[in-house]
Amino acid sequence: MANRIPSFLLNRPSPPSLKQDSGRVKVSLVEKGINHLAGVIKRGYIYSELLSKNGFFQKIDSRIKIFFLSFFIIVVSLKKDLLSELYISIFIFLLVLFSRLKVVTFYRRVLLFAFFFGFLIALPSAFNFITKGELILPVAKLSRPYDFWIYHVPATIGMTKEGLLGVAMLTMRVINSLSLSCWVLYTTPFLEMVRALKILKVPDSFLIIISLCYKYIFIFSKTIEDMYLAKRSRMLTEENNKKAREWTAGRLALIFRKTQLRCEEVFRAMTGRGFSDSIKLYGFGKMRATDWASGAALFSIGLLFLLI
Amino acid sequence: MEKLIRLERISYSYYDQIPALSEIDLEVVDGDNLAIIGANGSGKSTLLQIMGGLRYPSKGKFLFRDAEVSEKSLRDKGSLKSFRKSLGYVFQDSDVQLFCPTVLDELLYGPLQLDLDEKEAFDRAFEVMKMLNIEQLKNRPSYMLSGGEKKKVAIGSVLTMNPEILLLDEPTNGLDPKTQCFLVELMIALKEAGKTLVIATHDLSLVGELQARVAVLSEEHRIEKVGEVNEILGDQDLLLRVNLIHEHIHRHGETVHRHIHSHYLFHRHEGNGS
Repeated sequence: MANRIPSFLLNRPSPPSLKQDSGRVKVSLVEKGINHLAGVIKRGYIYSELLSKNGFFQKIDSRIKIFFLSFFIIVVSLKKDLLSELYISIFIFLLVLFSRLKVVTFYRRVLLFAFFFGFLIALPSAFNFITKGELILPVAKLSRPYDFWIYHVPATIGMTKEGLLGVAMLTMRVINSLSLSCWVLYTTPFLEMVRALKILKVPDSFLIIISLCYKYIFIFSKTIEDMYLAKRSRMLTEENNKKAREWTAGRLALIFRKTQLRCEEVFRAMTGRGFSDSIKLYGFGKMRATDWASGAALFSIGLLFLLI
Repeated sequence: MEKLIRLERISYSYYDQIPALSEIDLEVVDGDNLAIIGANGSGKSTLLQIMGGLRYPSKGKFLFRDAEVSEKSLRDKGSLKSFRKSLGYVFQDSDVQLFCPTVLDELLYGPLQLDLDEKEAFDRAFEVMKMLNIEQLKNRPSYMLSGGEKKKVAIGSVLTMNPEILLLDEPTNGLDPKTQCFLVELMIALKEAGKTLVIATHDLSLVGELQARVAVLSEEHRIEKVGEVNEILGDQDLLLRVNLIHEHIHRHGETVHRHIHSHYLFHRHEGNGS
């Protein structure tokens, strides 16, 4: 073997120096984005596995929590004033606190999604050409009013009190629904959740799809993160956005092929273990007195919110 | 001997929840041949990834040629280039390491990153392919390779960059005996060519064959002991403590034997058991 070592490998490169004077490496937006997204998915998966250990609510039967989630989401949607939504938010905050979840991490995630899928989506409806009402925040002035399709654009464009209240209401509903869902997700092992959904007569085909997706998304994000790490280990210079886009586009086909092969392997493994198209459950224990008591307490609080 | 890598009280945990390394002190000198051994989950790969600048320690310092390596220092263009040029990392899972369309592209990726001219890059790629007996695979995509071929390509993709330090994570894991033997010979040849090797493994026979200096990681993610190969592999108590060997009972005909089992040194029968 020794005599087959290529001559270039016998050349010792001159000792490098790690002097910091050559300017900063710019990480391309594409690369940063992909790595960050893969990291968030993976962390989300890990946290839901890890955080469901201590705390009172982690021990409550998953059926109670799924029922509570469905009931409370209806309550959140039925409430029509901001104050009630605020009370519900405070109640959910207390639940998160008593469940010993990491409050900052929890709310950072919830608020990020609520900002995009609640606030930003609803924001245009605050303008007076969509929601009529008392103009409280003028933004622009036109020479005259315009009529466009079904909209009437007044000479002064701005946000109305009614519009802003609507935006705040929708954002609060999204925050409450999201934090409730995350709270249940983080305090209930995924398998328990699937079992509870099965008890609630959710079709098997749907449960199989979400179970496989849940695992698959994790494997997929891990593959991307590892591949990014491997690329970093061989990357000596910075890469601009164009190059990063080209690299990413080139890798898509490869990742698609790799995941397709993985998918076939998983299916073969499932078939090998006697997979049929139904989910078999075992040992779903009886509910304890504390489960019933917690269920009754949560249900009563929900009713109370409905009445106020 | 010049100190290339110095780890000072390094700790690392995943997601601030799962501890992987605890208070690690370790040095790698020029021309070293170091094997990091430990049971599954003891933190070998994490330690190697920290040495490769792919993860940054939660606590402690990682120094390369006396300069601290951190997320901040590797944001400097010059430092990044010097560092990556000097260290080649071979991943445990070759599938993640191979991200180019074909084997030839894999081998060319590094030299082109080094700004070598095209001719030299191709020369290096073909010389490495010849050394690894994978010339016939040059146009094959990585997902159409066997496990052994993938490992050879992964090692080749790093060798074409001619790094002075090679970090190899479980290099012989899951390979057939012939490929294992080939890789052991390759590692010995690279060592003789002056390369510094750092290997993470739980394969004690590999450590024995390489006659490496050994650092033992415990299941508590600490360095249990650093020593010469014979000293470490001869210490049954230590290897039992870190779960690299175990007590085993089996039957030969009517006789029941009890002995320490490691698939390497300690398959010695101690007489009749009951």
